[in-house]
Amino acid sequence: MLNYPLIISGKAISKFAKVLNLGNGSTWPGHIALNLNKKFIKQFLKKSKTKIVIIAGTNGKTTTASLITNALRHNNGKVIQNESGANLLNGIASTLIMHSSATGGLDADYAIFEIDENNLPLVLKEVTPDALLLLNLFRDQLDRYGEINTIGEKWKKSISFLSKKTTLILNSDDPLIAYMGKDTKNKKLYFGLHDSNHKNNHPQDDATDSSYCPNCNGKLIYKNKIFSHLGDWKCRKCKFKRPNPDVDFFENYPLPGTYNKYNTHAAIALLKHLKMKTAIIKQSIKDFKPAFGRQENIKYKNKNIQIYLSKNPTSFNQSLNTILDLDAKNLLIILNDRIPDGRDISWIWDTEMNRISKFKNIFVAGDRAYDMALRLKYEMGITDYQTRVKVIDNLKNGIEKAISYLEDDQILFMLPTYSGMLDARKILTGRRIL
Amino acid sequence: MTQKLKAKSYQLNIGWLYPELMSTYGDKGNIMTLQKRCEWRGIEVKIINIDQRSKIPDLKTIDLLFAGGAQDREQSIVIQNLKKHETEIRKLIEKEVPALFVCGAPQLFGKYYEPSIGKRLDGLGIFDIETIHAGPQKKRLTGNVIAKIINKNILNTKYPILHSGIIVGFENHGGRTYLGKYAKPFAMVIKGYGNNGEDGTEGVVYKNAIGSYLHGPLLPKNPGIADWLITKAITTKYKQKVTLAPLDNAVSNQAKSVIARRLGIKL
Repeated sequence: MLNYPLIISGKAISKFAKVLNLGNGSTWPGHIALNLNKKFIKQFLKKSKTKIVIIAGTNGKTTTASLITNALRHNNGKVIQNESGANLLNGIASTLIMHSSATGGLDADYAIFEIDENNLPLVLKEVTPDALLLLNLFRDQLDRYGEINTIGEKWKKSISFLSKKTTLILNSDDPLIAYMGKDTKNKKLYFGLHDSNHKNNHPQDDATDSSYCPNCNGKLIYKNKIFSHLGDWKCRKCKFKRPNPDVDFFENYPLPGTYNKYNTHAAIALLKHLKMKTAIIKQSIKDFKPAFGRQENIKYKNKNIQIYLSKNPTSFNQSLNTILDLDAKNLLIILNDRIPDGRDISWIWDTEMNRISKFKNIFVAGDRAYDMALRLKYEMGITDYQTRVKVIDNLKNGIEKAISYLEDDQILFMLPTYSGMLDARKILTGRRIL
Repeated sequence: MTQKLKAKSYQLNIGWLYPELMSTYGDKGNIMTLQKRCEWRGIEVKIINIDQRSKIPDLKTIDLLFAGGAQDREQSIVIQNLKKHETEIRKLIEKEVPALFVCGAPQLFGKYYEPSIGKRLDGLGIFDIETIHAGPQKKRLTGNVIAKIINKNILNTKYPILHSGIIVGFENHGGRTYLGKYAKPFAMVIKGYGNNGEDGTEGVVYKNAIGSYLHGPLLPKNPGIADWLITKAITTKYKQKVTLAPLDNAVSNQAKSVIARRLGIKL
């Protein structure tokens, strides 16, 4: 078999990289395999019986994938996932190599792949998933991903070529995502949020990305807005409107924050599609532990720290509102502008900070700490800024200083960008994840 | 002679063009900077949104005009609507009302914009510039920028912050803008691409209107430009010279230095 040597050598490379601690060794084998055989993924999956789920969207991929994986394992399913950050084609190829059996098959019942927005069309050319779960499209890293409408158009086109065997799991409340299901013959399941369950405490949310109809460019009207452009929407011009969600309610959410309600509903819709019993879904969600950096609790020098990954205006606003509802008093923001964060940090000015003065102490760290400080200064005014905000040049010192301000039972809430989260976790746990 | 009026007696109307449709790269930051730098000096400010719902009287009261960046789809919605306001906007610019148009906005105020797909969009022709999108295969001009203001109208105001004339920002544009015979550049890039990545020019100035590809947003880290706009707005409205009270710019200077250091430029 043509791919057999690639798999064997790939496994060896992966081990080698791990032993030498070469950092992100997880994408090397896939990278090499794809270079030697472009059709590697397609050929590999042809004979596989593993059910593949692809998850894409700006926010919530990792949490949703964790919820699904957790439930499937609860049900004694064998599940594989691409490793965090390995969400391009080479990451998928690597995951396949690492989990391939001696016969060249895949040693798993389910494979859950998180895919980067830009790479979804490329991946769908190689992989025919059992289910494609699309969460949302928010403004994020315009320098890397481009405008959300452009991404939406690319997605729509690649979905039109998708096999009819793939079930679409779509967010009914995000117009651009719901549009992905329009005029397709694929089976569809929608998830959303039931309006009467939701009280909008933060009506002034967000820079709007998508208040125009993806179908006809007409202005959308909202009966109810949950946050950003998510809600119960309808186009006045072409009458395209929010599809009725199949899942819009759950009694016990595993994590705080409205965005996690969406992630939970998305996971439930998918698990229902996989015919999992409701009782098992409920139990597995009850036992759920968050993925790293997603509302993760870390104990450091006997102090409590909670990390809320905040990488674009919507996720930042949602994190801020969630922790303020938990009566947070101490905040550490880490703003980096490395490639995984996006080089352009102008998004910080699109965040909503009107409740920021509820914090007692605000620490700012990261490569672009002064830009965040400037943002806070213009929001809070000079006096308030000077009394509450402290800019820290070095992250480790920043964390030490921030925890020294904590009163006994207080928690330090950390809102980092992606690379800031990895740096902070390394300091807090003494380990690297990637 | 410079005459100091009691700041309290000044009141400015800042017009924000299409805040919903043209607010892609933290443009709210430009508005906040103008607003707060006025308020911190006791200058009263009103932000007036100019959009599809606006009428001519709204535009007549504007003392300072701002427009931000738009995504392609939004840009085509704006241009159709903007034509309705064309005469009034032109009148404002001609009577030296200061204006700042960033990112996609200058394209709309230039002669035309030729998108990568679809028809050429005619702009208002306030700036003698032409913008051509090189197509989706050509690379976008993206990254941190450091530039030096060369426009005499702006530099001659002798603002301490503008002394060096060095500004920083972030650019991300597919379109290449070329200056016509009558257009004067705003700045020259030291690091980055600027208007087209070829001739080193960045932005364009006509009377007191600045067009620039720099977001970041532009004004928070370059408060000198904000103060220049405010000064011009007061001068035009009250027919009086004015010296703005100084403000502490330490945080913006530090944020600016981070970028300058990274690009190897001494401020």
